[in-house]
Amino acid sequence: MINKKLIKDLLNESACSHNKDKKSSCDKPKPGATSGGCAYEGAQIALFPYADAVHLVHGPDTCLGASWETRATLTSWEGENNTPLGYCTNVTTNDIIFGGDKKLAESIAYIVERKKPKAIFVYETCVTAMIGDNIDFTCKEAGKRFGIPIVPVHAPGFVGGKNLGSRLAGEAVLDALVGTREPKEIHPYGINLIGDYNVTGDMWQYVPILERIGIKVVATLSGDGRIEQIQQAHTAKLNVIVCAKSLITLCRKMQERYDIPYVSVSFYGKRDTSNAIRSIVNAFGNEEMMQKAEVIIAEEEAKLEARLLPYRELLKDKKAILNTGGNKSWSIASALQDIGIEVVATSIRKATEEDIAIAREYVPILMRVPANEQAKLIDEHNIDILLAGGRSLYTALKKRVAFVDVNQEKKVSYGAYGGLENLAIDVCAALANPVFKLAGKEAPWEN
Amino acid sequence: MGELKAIKPLHVNPLKLSQPMGATLAFLGIKNCMPLMHGAQGCASFTKVLFTRHFNDPIAIQTTAINDITAVIDGGEYSISVAIENITQKVSPDLVGLFTTGLSETKGDDIKGASLLLKDKQKIVYVHTPDFEGGLESGWALSVQGIIEQLIEQLIEPSLTCNKDKVLLIPNVNLSAIEVEKIKEALELFDFEVYALPDLSDSLDGHLGVKQGALSSGGISVEAIKKLGDAGLVITVGRSVKKCGELFCEKNAKATHLHFDSLVGLQACDDFYGKLLTCKGWSKPPSSIQRWRKRLQDILLDTHFVLGKAKVIIADEPDNAYAISTALGEVGANVHAIIAQRSDISEAFTCKVQIGDFEDVETLLPSFDAIISNYHAERLAHQYHKTVLFRGFPNYESVGIGLRHNVLYEGSCSLLCEVANTLGHV
Repeated sequence: MINKKLIKDLLNESACSHNKDKKSSCDKPKPGATSGGCAYEGAQIALFPYADAVHLVHGPDTCLGASWETRATLTSWEGENNTPLGYCTNVTTNDIIFGGDKKLAESIAYIVERKKPKAIFVYETCVTAMIGDNIDFTCKEAGKRFGIPIVPVHAPGFVGGKNLGSRLAGEAVLDALVGTREPKEIHPYGINLIGDYNVTGDMWQYVPILERIGIKVVATLSGDGRIEQIQQAHTAKLNVIVCAKSLITLCRKMQERYDIPYVSVSFYGKRDTSNAIRSIVNAFGNEEMMQKAEVIIAEEEAKLEARLLPYRELLKDKKAILNTGGNKSWSIASALQDIGIEVVATSIRKATEEDIAIAREYVPILMRVPANEQAKLIDEHNIDILLAGGRSLYTALKKRVAFVDVNQEKKVSYGAYGGLENLAIDVCAALANPVFKLAGKEAPWEN
Repeated sequence: MGELKAIKPLHVNPLKLSQPMGATLAFLGIKNCMPLMHGAQGCASFTKVLFTRHFNDPIAIQTTAINDITAVIDGGEYSISVAIENITQKVSPDLVGLFTTGLSETKGDDIKGASLLLKDKQKIVYVHTPDFEGGLESGWALSVQGIIEQLIEQLIEPSLTCNKDKVLLIPNVNLSAIEVEKIKEALELFDFEVYALPDLSDSLDGHLGVKQGALSSGGISVEAIKKLGDAGLVITVGRSVKKCGELFCEKNAKATHLHFDSLVGLQACDDFYGKLLTCKGWSKPPSSIQRWRKRLQDILLDTHFVLGKAKVIIADEPDNAYAISTALGEVGANVHAIIAQRSDISEAFTCKVQIGDFEDVETLLPSFDAIISNYHAERLAHQYHKTVLFRGFPNYESVGIGLRHNVLYEGSCSLLCEVANTLGHV
């Protein structure tokens, strides 16, 4: 069942700085003026990276049929990778009338028999919430019968947006999995990585560095994650929230229940990556480790500088405008600055108060209405490149400046030190490409 | 060759897309239209993302954003009227295409009533498209039926006003923008005045406009739809839209209805042109058509060496699976079709056909050479070292999807050559 009280609590998260001045991301969506995904999608984003678990969507087709195999979250799991697979109970008219519990139970049995997963997450959707299927009971019974965790996730789309759905998914994991398995030994410098989904392998850019310093990743939620590891997450010494505020409630609750403190970091760009490593190491307060971290940071930064050298000349004196949402409004700006680009302006139209405060430290001009402002700023500041969503392509073509679609699903990682080189390659390719001056050219019969 | 067996309790790696998604595409084929999905915000968001990636172009769509409160206490009037208010504050659509989802149908909302309440504010066509029934093809077809019923003006005296040279072309959802354009051009060669409903040929054909609009960027105009009633000939392509043609004839009893299950392959095209010639009383089609038929004859012979020995799985929407499997069958290919949803066309297949998902595809694939299907076939083809050719929705692997041309003599040549040339490339 949907837990109304929990949803209310999640929306009033005390650890959220914007809570006094409530932002639209936590409000009810406006009919006819809403874009962006629903709570179910948020839950899917947060949990699908567990590749050793099957993700069963209890609902009709649109929820999963349109969205399976779309997220480029990578895993090193050697068994069958369930992340890109789609399991759906395909609720039909008959189930709406007579209830879908039986079909759900049969589907779970079908999956356990053929796939032998480590766990099954069962996602409630709007329709199965409306018809009042007793998903909790069905999952509990199946869990007893098959001896694996079968975790109901109560985030039907209509309860809110993606952010809330991710929170609800975090709650489901916290209640059903965390603390249900004890490890053989407890690592003194064990951390949980929360909120990095390893899209395009982002995590693999920095986890090896942390390991070299002597830090061990106990569990993740949920990039390259394993069910058995998240069950042991309560034995970590520190929670590290990576660039995602949606799971802050989970971290606060883990602090209350298991006495695990948390730090919030970003691994975008050179400076932020180095600072992220420092924040994690400092949280342990081990002097020796801090020194070792500084040595490794210096090494990595030097290596990166050497690799960026070929691009420095091309990127020198280049000016950019960034028009994107959320934490990207500052994290990408910071990364761009690290490869030597001057970021003249960034959009804060879709950023939280917290993001705006950070963005202010990085970028001189904050655009509130980028659609109106960016064209003018391109002229005034002699901008070379616009990094924005597809909608702004027309502005770039009209102004004949290079364009990078930052909202499109990225194909390579821009994360940590290694990813910066990928960013430099992509920006250089856009700057050098004649297409932006050519494609918008007038036809011979137009003036 | 019907072999439609009972389905397992769940879909594993679904092939099926939903009715509201078909409705979305149908309304995108109408000029200055805003598709409005009556459901939770995610229903519209998933649809928008899928089609944006598929077409590489912006997709206009809005949602009534049902939430946990309006799901219970609103009968639809509130969220629909607020949605219309918010939409019309920013843009002025010529039409809003309002269609339901599983959520709003489970609630049992009265969308007809809600539309009537708003009729002075905004022109609306309403359609029931729950996603727990039907699929992409039926969602498209139901929308076309809704448009015919609710928008086309009734003729006062059909026998006097019926225009025998005016054609209403109703394509099925699988036809690409350019395919619709090519069929229109073919009919124009027969001196017909042609209107396609819906018309994706200039809305989702991937053209660079002056700016990105918030509404559909092309298509048939609402004014033109209203006046379609006097069309003397209605042509439906694909079994999923056959009923639309019949419905039109109920409105205009003087109209002739020509139905074609497919326009791919020699026999299907011969049937098409044969009936047009009869219709017009001509003895021969224009010379370019005669020339393309000869080319297709040659291609049939050239490709039969490779295709005649090929074992191919096609997993797609029923109408498209039928069209392609029949065309490949003409050169002796051994085809097994897996279709996304139940359809009348399944009885017409000349090859094996079943309703299924990608788990079923995976079971069969080892003993086949190639798979023709959507983007999800990529991973399987790679895993089993098979040839893959992308057709259907979604296709995130290819660019220029709107430009694909696989109908009539000319397009059939391209299809056969493409399959023959791709086979063996793993």
